Amino acid sequence: MKIGLFIPCYIDAFFPKTGIATLELLEKLGQDVEYPMDQTCCGQPMANSGCNRDAKETEALFVRNFAKYDMIVAPSGSCVHHIRENFDAIEQTDEVRHVRQNTYELVEFIHDVLRVREFPWAEFPHKVGLHNSCATLRALRTASMSELGEPFFSKPKTLLSAVKGISFATPKRPDECCGFGGTYSVTEEAVSARMGLDKVNDHHNAGAEYIVSADTSCMMHQQGCAERNGVPVRFIHIADILNGARS
Amino acid sequence: MREKPVPHASLAAEFLRDDLHRIFHDERLWGMRQKRDEQMHELPEWQELRQQASRLKEHTLAHLPHYLEQFEQNAKKNGIHVHWARDGAEHNRIVEGILKAHGHSSIIKSKSMITDECEMREYLEPKGITVTETDLGERIQQLDNQLPSHVVVPAVQKLTKDVAKVFAKHYHTDPAIDDPHALAEAQRNAARPVLLSGDTGMTGGNFLVAETGSFVVCTNEGNADLSANLPNLHIATLGIERLVPRMEDLGVFIRLLSRSALGSPITQYTTHFRKPKKGGEMHVILVDNGRSERLGMEDFWSSLKCIRCGACMNTCPVYRRSGGQSYGAVYSGPIGAIIDPTFNAKKFSTLPFASTMNGSCTNVCPVKIDIHDQLYKWRRILAERHEIPFVKKEIMKMAGRLLSQPKLYRLSISGTEVALKTMPRFVLYNYLNPWGKHRELPHPVKETFHSWYKKNRLKKETTAQEGTSS
Amino acid sequence: MSDKAMSARDVILGRLRAVKSKSPAEEAYPLPPIVMLGDQDASPERFESNLALMGGQMIHRQDGETVEAAIARAFPKRRNLCTAVPEVKGTLRIEDLTTHQEADTVDVMVVRAAFGVAEMGGIFLSEVELKDHLADVHLAQHLVVLLAKDELVGNMHNAYRERSEFRTAGYGVLMSGPSATADIEGVLIRGAQGVRSLSVVWA
Repeated sequence: MKIGLFIPCYIDAFFPKTGIATLELLEKLGQDVEYPMDQTCCGQPMANSGCNRDAKETEALFVRNFAKYDMIVAPSGSCVHHIRENFDAIEQTDEVRHVRQNTYELVEFIHDVLRVREFPWAEFPHKVGLHNSCATLRALRTASMSELGEPFFSKPKTLLSAVKGISFATPKRPDECCGFGGTYSVTEEAVSARMGLDKVNDHHNAGAEYIVSADTSCMMHQQGCAERNGVPVRFIHIADILNGARS
Repeated sequence: MREKPVPHASLAAEFLRDDLHRIFHDERLWGMRQKRDEQMHELPEWQELRQQASRLKEHTLAHLPHYLEQFEQNAKKNGIHVHWARDGAEHNRIVEGILKAHGHSSIIKSKSMITDECEMREYLEPKGITVTETDLGERIQQLDNQLPSHVVVPAVQKLTKDVAKVFAKHYHTDPAIDDPHALAEAQRNAARPVLLSGDTGMTGGNFLVAETGSFVVCTNEGNADLSANLPNLHIATLGIERLVPRMEDLGVFIRLLSRSALGSPITQYTTHFRKPKKGGEMHVILVDNGRSERLGMEDFWSSLKCIRCGACMNTCPVYRRSGGQSYGAVYSGPIGAIIDPTFNAKKFSTLPFASTMNGSCTNVCPVKIDIHDQLYKWRRILAERHEIPFVKKEIMKMAGRLLSQPKLYRLSISGTEVALKTMPRFVLYNYLNPWGKHRELPHPVKETFHSWYKKNRLKKETTAQEGTSS
Repeated sequence: MSDKAMSARDVILGRLRAVKSKSPAEEAYPLPPIVMLGDQDASPERFESNLALMGGQMIHRQDGETVEAAIARAFPKRRNLCTAVPEVKGTLRIEDLTTHQEADTVDVMVVRAAFGVAEMGGIFLSEVELKDHLADVHLAQHLVVLLAKDELVGNMHNAYRERSEFRTAGYGVLMSGPSATADIEGVLIRGAQGVRSLSVVWA
């Protein structure tokens, strides 16, 4: 099985460490991974703004880059959600359908496809607050949703629980959106930043040293809010922890 | 007439400026959401109820003309006068006509969103007809000359001190009152004489029952029972989508409505009107006002399933932090954001963008409206109809071009790291950069993943491939 | 015919029939069968605990105590008592109220409910029980409701299915506790516009 690694634009530019951790982790888990060099973005920013037509060429490029792989893995829930649910600016050919059906978010890939539950190399002696992005929570369904009253499950927590020394903080509103929302973060910056600050405060007040998430975009926003307001909480992608980062 | 889009973002920013209001509003509505969750946990059949409610509404909407005719026939049999209004203006004229025929001039009214939608007060009052809201929250909003902030708790954006100020001005009470009980008592005392002397009672309604020709009004204050029964003339206004086929179907909706809205099992009063009281006269006005058109919209017809519980507003993290007034509409919050553009796509073009698309609204909706999917669909339609700001559209066009050309893209981001590291703070953090107004930018990094991969992996891969091919 | 010449009724029904062919399609949405879901326990205990939750209260009769005496004990400071039931004499009968202004001065109103709903702690009143004094019951300060234990239904599904009153009453109100509001800063206030308290006596 050949895996195409999709590193979304903001991870590529601002959080390369997370990209490297994702690659290394997949390799540690015995996967044959390749990063196609001509990749840029999945088209989500344009589509979420309503400008779906402007996403057409970007989606086409994505398919050109990734159609040859059996599976595509990305350390970003919102991008995977876009590819799976909304990637329809281009004509739906067999190739496109193949890409859409075989793109996985990192956590669900490890949890559901590889079914790996042990990470013997990983140790993270810190109290973490787990942030499930709305895309992973309510679209990809990697954890139970409080609104539905369904039995508790959390794929990211299941994976993280195998990490030595880790403990979890329980925020008051675990499912509350952090306010990033893609372009929402700039079109309604005041509400967005308020939500972000409320979110990091909730985690901090629950005793979290780190906020951990499968979505870097949410954390980029939360980190910006935390730093501006002096909330002493740090941020780390789940790929980094599972790959063995100690801090 | 060119109407400006509602500036939701800046109105919301204004609302956020006062900590007392901001914190109360968020906590109050979140508290309602929590109470709703408790009720849900008490009923193992919750999801079945939602499913049934959704199916019943879908069925009814798919057979709407049939059930409307059935309702009309049965209501008439019971002695109710049934009127039909194509739009708000026609509705208001009908009300005016009924009052004129009786020589009446004062309406006591229980809360109904649809009369606000029809702008009935604005139409009737210049004609010398007084309209007095009797629901406490709605009355506060009326006195303050504001639209309701929320479909269930109309004055939820106000604090006690705000209400005290409004009452002091209109009821001449002490502006320093800081006890909600005293203010509620002031309203009770002010309302009683008006209720006792009103010549016409008006209510809205939550449900129309086709099979019996009756309608149901749910309130907590009991003001609908007073407004409807004190005068001899009762006019009820309902949207044509409010139908349910059978009396038994009410069981499903009544069990969901208040639990979803306030987290209480039921409203204090669930009132069923089937015919006029002895010696009285009863009118029902069925209002279309864009509903028939919405029913024809493939992507949006299901928003007509809405039973106006406000659960989507309570759970919406954006609504909780922006306040209902920032939507500039009768219907605010997520449901407003998908309904309002059907009334006026330009004026409400900003509302589908007042969302992070987190999807919580869809999950709490008791009739399973796919609210966040409809928000997404509205964005596409509004962009195609050029109802989004020019700059945003241009940026997206540029982004689309850039992101589809790998070489150009690589070139363009090669400067990012340099920019973040070397530019003075005032350049990065100014009013042109909405990101940086309340947030720090991401930290600069030495190299992108792309160039790391090129250096660390591509070389190895090439060597390995050469190795195998030789 | 133009929109103007046609009645609003025909225009609206016409519009609805015109869009019907597109969405939603009639045949795709059949009428779901009636459901009876959840707890159908019709016990007085369930009724009592939900009545309390909704802000109502029970007046429990002491050994050998009449309904009248129990009510008198619960409202020692009553200025007057208006009654719609034969069990209680009161100071005036509901049938004798001639104006709403008169009803507005009523301190305690006593009525009998047709039935109760255990799930909601709710009691049902119609023009029959109210002797056509529909508004007057809501003008009183306090409401006392006589209810027979064998007139309880389990939940709202049971109520709508089993009680014929919903189909026969011209006016039928299910009251769960007294009038209430939380419209000012979320503070719960009993007695917003209607009765300030609602008490139930098993009788």
